[in-house]
Amino acid sequence: MAAITVAGVFGAVSALQAALAAENAAIFGYGVAGAHLTGSRWAAAQQDWTGHNQARDTLAAMISKLGAAPVPAQAFYQLPFRVHDAASAMALAAYLEDGATRAYLGLVAVSDQRLRRFGALAMQGAAQRAASWRGSTQAFPGLSGP
Amino acid sequence: MLLASATTLPLLLATAGCRSSDAFTGPDPLAGRPPLGHDVLTLQAVIRAEENLIYLYRTAIHGDSGTTARSRTLRPLLAQHEQHLAQLRARLIQPGGNPATPATPSASAASTAPAHVSTARLRAAERASAAGLVRRLAAVEPALAQLFASIAASDVTHVTALGG
Repeated sequence: MAAITVAGVFGAVSALQAALAAENAAIFGYGVAGAHLTGSRWAAAQQDWTGHNQARDTLAAMISKLGAAPVPAQAFYQLPFRVHDAASAMALAAYLEDGATRAYLGLVAVSDQRLRRFGALAMQGAAQRAASWRGSTQAFPGLSGP
Repeated sequence: MLLASATTLPLLLATAGCRSSDAFTGPDPLAGRPPLGHDVLTLQAVIRAEENLIYLYRTAIHGDSGTTARSRTLRPLLAQHEQHLAQLRARLIQPGGNPATPATPSASAASTAPAHVSTARLRAAERASAAGLVRRLAAVEPALAQLFASIAASDVTHVTALGG
């Protein structure tokens, strides 16, 4: 695999940082959503929250390997709407996964082929979780923003 | 320094013993059809694959005359594939003189599609489509790669919607 150019590293780091920011937001948001879910829905939220933690660690390691400092998580994230019951909690989970899908789409545009593939596969996971929480699929995950 | 002009250039060529037609030798790059670029060829292949997938869905829905539950699942997925095809075609800009991508499924798809298309076959087709798009996005320009990735993500959600 050819080495990444300096310009390529900057582009890759920027895209990775955006994906990391989305994962940090998802970790925070799932904590809020999970408090309003029970049974299998709570278990699914727990599983997804764990997955986002793992993804955060993976992205942080990739960014560090490229010589940059991973962006830290914020102490608080402004939610897009009030979460007060199971329906709004599931809507928040779908919203968070849509955000992750859009962030990983940014990785698909970098020049490094391995990162493009990584981003595309991560998009698939986020899009699947979003469809599961939303109850419907989309034609263009990541491209149809709020 | 000599300044080239309409009067001095012929004089210069004549002095050097050259005819103006000799100045530009070799094959004329504009004589025949320009070769299609890599992205165009890739996009054409992806369009054909999407057309084949749409043909499978239409065949499945047409064959489900008594299975309305499955058709209710398939119709929105078909609609999304039709949106995929429209976006892919909108990206295709071919040089003049090259034949356009045919609007109908390929002859091979029409001849191999059975009267009944199982849900398992649709899931397999969706998985294959997603895998093919991820494989192809590595070597195309960034915006096209993002479209491929988005469509691949949509295809994967269809697998789940089809019970996969």
